[in-house]
Amino acid sequence: MPNRLGGGFLLAGMALQNLWRREARTLLLLAGVAICSGAVFTGDVLMRSIESSMSVGFTRLGADMLVVPAGALTNITAALLTAEPTDQTFDDSDLAHLQAIKGVQKLAPQLVFRTDASGYGGKGETVDVIAFDPARDFTIQPWLEQRLGRPIRKGDIIVGGRREDALGAKLLLFESPVTVYGRLGKTGVGTHERALFMTFETLAEMRLAMQRICGQQAPLAPNKLSGALLQLSPGATSQQVRFAVLANFPRVKVVAGESMLASIRQGLEAMVNGMLVLVAIMFVSIALMLSVLFSAIIAERKRELGMLRAMGARRRQIMGMLLTEAGVATAVGGLMGVVLGLLLMRVYERSLVYHLDRIGIPFVWLDGATIGVIGALCIVLISLTGAAGALYPAWRASGVEPYALMRSEG
Amino acid sequence: MIVSCVDLAKAYVAERGEIEAVRGIDFEMRVGEFTSIVGRSGSGKSSFLAMIGGLSRPSRGSLRIEDTDIWRLSDDHLADFRNRRIGFVYQFASLLPTLTIIDNVALPARLDPTQDSASAYRRARGWLDQFSLSQYLDAYPSEISSGEQRRAVLARALMNDPALLLADEPTSDLDEVTEGEIVELFRGLNREHNLTVLMVTHNLRLAEQTDRVIHIADGRLAA
Repeated sequence: MPNRLGGGFLLAGMALQNLWRREARTLLLLAGVAICSGAVFTGDVLMRSIESSMSVGFTRLGADMLVVPAGALTNITAALLTAEPTDQTFDDSDLAHLQAIKGVQKLAPQLVFRTDASGYGGKGETVDVIAFDPARDFTIQPWLEQRLGRPIRKGDIIVGGRREDALGAKLLLFESPVTVYGRLGKTGVGTHERALFMTFETLAEMRLAMQRICGQQAPLAPNKLSGALLQLSPGATSQQVRFAVLANFPRVKVVAGESMLASIRQGLEAMVNGMLVLVAIMFVSIALMLSVLFSAIIAERKRELGMLRAMGARRRQIMGMLLTEAGVATAVGGLMGVVLGLLLMRVYERSLVYHLDRIGIPFVWLDGATIGVIGALCIVLISLTGAAGALYPAWRASGVEPYALMRSEG
Repeated sequence: MIVSCVDLAKAYVAERGEIEAVRGIDFEMRVGEFTSIVGRSGSGKSSFLAMIGGLSRPSRGSLRIEDTDIWRLSDDHLADFRNRRIGFVYQFASLLPTLTIIDNVALPARLDPTQDSASAYRRARGWLDQFSLSQYLDAYPSEISSGEQRRAVLARALMNDPALLLADEPTSDLDEVTEGEIVELFRGLNREHNLTVLMVTHNLRLAEQTDRVIHIADGRLAA
């Protein structure tokens, strides 16, 4: 039984068949669109992943401000999550005064101690041990992804998201037995990813062993803190609290999260905006490329368009056929670009992301569903751009008298 | 009268200025008439036919087809009128190369949203049978001869049972035998279906086989 094209599919079918009349030209068109679409898709996914990685690091842990000893070095990346490992400390007796400052809603003391003699992991492996107070903490425990079915207690440690230890595993830390109580999710912040967290109570119990193994280092002295994370009360401004803290504690440094976040976000925003401009330029260039190409395609098919008009094709049917042709070509090119982009990201993941990860800068990819939505949007947008590019030549050709079209060479 | 035009004229704007291809023609045609228009190349006969077919807007004058002033219709209505009331056969191979013969023939019906696909293909098969092309339903135009292509074009022109068949040099690139066959088909359709046919040709021998011959020279009807 012969295959019959039915109804409105006839013109759409013709549009598809027309694409394969000039295979080389169509393949070049597809390649051009695929490169643009791949660049847009890959760029967008990478930018959003970077943005997501940074926002995970800077916003989810919820600290507005960090108070550290005046001489302490702070690392912007980690400042709002933990104090940096340093010899500078302050007394925990200051905490009550800090807590009393107007505008301070929560205060989470931490002590961070970096050592390569903990006996954890491989020989000489550098480990950040972070001691915290479970009752006051608001930056670490919210990240617990896995935990034992009981409250944390003395002798427990929590491992960072990149550590492999099983829950409940018994380990030796500073020659003391500890139990892996929980594991954090991937926070996107390097210090958290590979750190070991314990309560001040556990630290106190290990202190002697730590001093014996690591020597009499300042952070290991009793009642010392590396820093305190502050969460501000609603309505309190970081400037007010900063002045109040500095007025009462001249020997501390206050690192305000908002200004850092703002500048980092602004930088990131500039990058994203730059990316958007690039994306817009690419879409415009595709539209122009399609416009030029379809002007040529239409010019060589004027006689055929004239015949269709003579047979009774309405202007919008002609336009529909030409726009379908452009839309389908760019959609297929767009799909090829998205597939190409996925392959590129795979390479990117195996090289740069792996390298970043090794040096403590974790990269959190967007989830599969979001990447799928971006890919689909990319294909739809590029297809619409293709149709938009063909719109003017199609509109112009469809408005020419059928006889003038038929008299054209083509 | 199926065709009636008064002072029909067509001017084209060219780089060297305005060129008047048709300079005011009065013409009438009865239903069932087979008329040929003859004239030298550039005499304006194709331009005249294009205006009657609703393909090219006259510069002046009036034209009525079946009592419809077609150049007063909107673009969509004129397209519908061409689709339903006028069939065209051109001087060049006018089948669409990417469609099979039956899709080509059924095309005018498929462009009309009021017609259903099954009946369109049934009628297309009927015309192809009548023109001895039923073995080529699924062939592509490049797979059949010039004469067969011309018969398929004629089948396509008749798909929507037009009131008027317009042919512009329909045998221009055919050999003498095939040329005779095609004109015989026109004659048969004219007699058996009372189809009104207006054919442009520069071949006087073919023109003599029609009911009436009109001559156009320099854009005007010649004596």
